[in-house]
Amino acid sequence: MPSWFSKVFKDKNNAATGTRPPLGGIDVSEDPEPETKPVPEKRRLLVNAPVLEDAVETAAWSADVRIKARVEKDNSACVLMVDRPILEGHSAWFPSKLKAGTSSLAQTLFEIDGVETALIHGFTVTLTRRPTMHGDWKQLAQEAGNAIRAHLIEGLPVVTPEFLDGLPAEDAILTTLKRVLDTEINPSIAAHSGEIALDRVEGNTVYIQMMGGCQGCAASDVTLRQGVHDAFRSAVPQIGAILDNTDHSAGKSPFYKELPVGMS
Amino acid sequence: MPKLNTFDVVIKTGANGPAALPKWAINGFVVEFEQSKGGNGPGETFEGTANPGSFPHSLLIRGPESGQWDIEETKVTYYPNGESPYTVRLGAARLDEESDLNIWHERPQAVFDV
Repeated sequence: MPSWFSKVFKDKNNAATGTRPPLGGIDVSEDPEPETKPVPEKRRLLVNAPVLEDAVETAAWSADVRIKARVEKDNSACVLMVDRPILEGHSAWFPSKLKAGTSSLAQTLFEIDGVETALIHGFTVTLTRRPTMHGDWKQLAQEAGNAIRAHLIEGLPVVTPEFLDGLPAEDAILTTLKRVLDTEINPSIAAHSGEIALDRVEGNTVYIQMMGGCQGCAASDVTLRQGVHDAFRSAVPQIGAILDNTDHSAGKSPFYKELPVGMS
Repeated sequence: MPKLNTFDVVIKTGANGPAALPKWAINGFVVEFEQSKGGNGPGETFEGTANPGSFPHSLLIRGPESGQWDIEETKVTYYPNGESPYTVRLGAARLDEESDLNIWHERPQAVFDV
């Protein structure tokens, strides 16, 4: 038994002496009028500090392109983090090789066996793989890393000018996605007291905020990926990264902020 | 979640910090650190070791009894039963008499060079 356990329960039993009814029966002793009413324990707030990650070491431009890979916890994607920007100001999402004609890097990545989608954003490339692919990501990540490294060393453009020319204006993206939220997404998640709002659009990168029942919900990631992503990309196929800007531990009613009375 | 034998915590305090040493809480029970050094006054660093020896569904640093506690950074090293230890670093947080810091985090996903 842990040492803290016996200490805690010894204290609790001591504190309870004289106030607990006898076991197995009705307390027939006189019930003296309490001098003060018991004060219920206040609900306490749970603060979640951001988890700090050791950033990929950035260095002056050199032939040695350093790339690290991290597989998402649910094994759904692999994020390749490069020591220099790959695509600045915009992001590019490619759902298939057929639709990757505006990016030679994406076309190269789709040559790797198993790659299903590719998202290029800032310093990162995020790959998903076909559901039939199992096992660890090491080989796929290694091949993708080699392809990205070779592309950057050759100094090739990541996307064509046509890709950038074909992007809608930020205002147009904002207006369309707001309509999608109002007419499709929010009515369907209202049953869970959830609400999703557009935070901002930068280039073609979309930042959203999840509120109400969505905030802090363990299923919010699934909602985001399976619901919001599909609806947004159907409405505006040119949008790139869709990022959840929600602090899932803050606000007035996050899903897991308040613990039951007595919990700390 | 694995059984957690022991954890070490290092807490760097910023501009505001309480005079009393911090306590930790497991599954709702508030406990003092079994070993500690340093402090959590302004600019100080506190180091503590605790031995939960149990399966936490919540593991917290208790907020101060009064005033504010500005934590600059928290480093927690976990020693799960039968597994290798791991460390998680947490960024800035502000605690008061009605709040606690969540320090229960799973092992971070491994990052590898490609």
